[in-house]
Amino acid sequence: MDDDRALSVTEAMTRAKGALETVRVRVVGEVSEFNDKPGYKAAYFTICDGSAAMPCMMWRDAYAASGISLTCGMLVELTGQFSAYVPKGRMQFTVRRLELAGEGRLRLQVAELARRLEAEGLMSEARKRPLPRYPERIAVVTSPRGKAVHDVLRTLRRRYPLAEVLLAGVQVEGEGAEEAIIEGLTVASAAGPDVIVLVRGGGSYEDLMPFSTETVARAIASCPAPVVTGIGHEPDTSIADMVADVRASTPTAAAEAVAPDLVDVAAMLSRDRRSLARALEHRVARDAHRVARVAQRPAFSDPHALLGTAAQALDLAGMRLGRAIPERLARDSQRVEYVRQRLLTAGPRMVERAASRPSLLAARLEDLSPLAILARGWSATFAKDGRTVIRSVRQVRAGDELGVRVSDGVIRCDVVGVEDGEEHERT
Amino acid sequence: MSSGSRMEKNMSGLEPREIEQMPFGDALAELERIVAELEGGQLELEESLARYERGVGLLKSLQARLSDAQQKVTMLIGELEAETPGAREE
Repeated sequence: MDDDRALSVTEAMTRAKGALETVRVRVVGEVSEFNDKPGYKAAYFTICDGSAAMPCMMWRDAYAASGISLTCGMLVELTGQFSAYVPKGRMQFTVRRLELAGEGRLRLQVAELARRLEAEGLMSEARKRPLPRYPERIAVVTSPRGKAVHDVLRTLRRRYPLAEVLLAGVQVEGEGAEEAIIEGLTVASAAGPDVIVLVRGGGSYEDLMPFSTETVARAIASCPAPVVTGIGHEPDTSIADMVADVRASTPTAAAEAVAPDLVDVAAMLSRDRRSLARALEHRVARDAHRVARVAQRPAFSDPHALLGTAAQALDLAGMRLGRAIPERLARDSQRVEYVRQRLLTAGPRMVERAASRPSLLAARLEDLSPLAILARGWSATFAKDGRTVIRSVRQVRAGDELGVRVSDGVIRCDVVGVEDGEEHERT
Repeated sequence: MSSGSRMEKNMSGLEPREIEQMPFGDALAELERIVAELEGGQLELEESLARYERGVGLLKSLQARLSDAQQKVTMLIGELEAETPGAREE
């Protein structure tokens, strides 16, 4: 204290401001309040940790340049200096640089990767493969330690012990986990399973990062068998979850998704057993009924009904035959005689007629011949080509050459003129 | 390769597959088909009996497999650690 003089408030605050402005820091904290009214020159917010809070301001242009939209709960890293707002006597931290920190940064990276892979179509519904209903071999890629692997094994044992479990026990978090998971998926795929289960127990967002890497996402997408994830970290979704064919919320749920329940299968089998028996019974009963119905018809129930009628009919026919024969014989002999007479007269006549037929045909043929017609004084007129028959005055013009076919040759003519038939009649 | 040629025959429907060789899902699917065919009632009696017999064979095999099933775990990589109550994941 150089002098004892009491300072004005302004002087005091200005001095404090000067002292504060020498404190330049980089600080990480969680956004707890945020105020960004459009009219303000700056964005105002507070960051805190468990035991302290810090009011912050950031000039609007710097805030906009950061590309970050602050929300409460966001973990941020700020670079700047302390200061004071003298008119209100308030301390504040002036932010020069704003970045997402820790999980916030990771989330941003994951969101960006998700956007990129989605744009590439890696997460599209069309890529999702259906799961086999009754898998023979189920590959499980997870840590060989801890709860998750046992949750899966127990669930599969309880629900569907029929399936063989192929277990790839790999490191799922920390340094090297990404490569280990990819190796696990590769080895599992090579074993030819019907389905692959990729799981891990819950952990922090950061612990789950290996499941949100691009390489793991691509390894999942290129697995020959469908992949089911159970990466317990609700409500967060890893990239692995988004690329997987089916996403379950926990390892147990993933195991449930890949195998049917033995109890259901057994129930289905006993239902099938009953249906099988019932269906056959029906089938046999239907035939038995048909046989019974046929058996009940008179033909089978009373042998006389069928044979009796025939026997009677035979008897009757026999009787009629006996009566009919003498009468019939007399009548028939008459008919035979009559037919014989007709045959005797018709025979020679038929031969005669048959003999005269060819000459008759020849005469008829001759009548039809155009030569015969010409012989009767008709002629036919052809154009110069000798083929086109002239049927109309419209086919010729004066000066044309024509051929007139008569019975013994062709007369070549020149057309002197043409007269319309009607005109001719009129004149 | 003999099983391969058998498979081929099965595809053309010349010869029913050996039930014990069939995967569970395939055997179950065939059983369900047989039940449906029998229920459809379009088969001749002889054929119905043959299908019924086949269905019963499938059913027996499937039920036996269910009751005898023991989980088999094959380690591809790593060593499975026994479950310790309350153990934390690596």
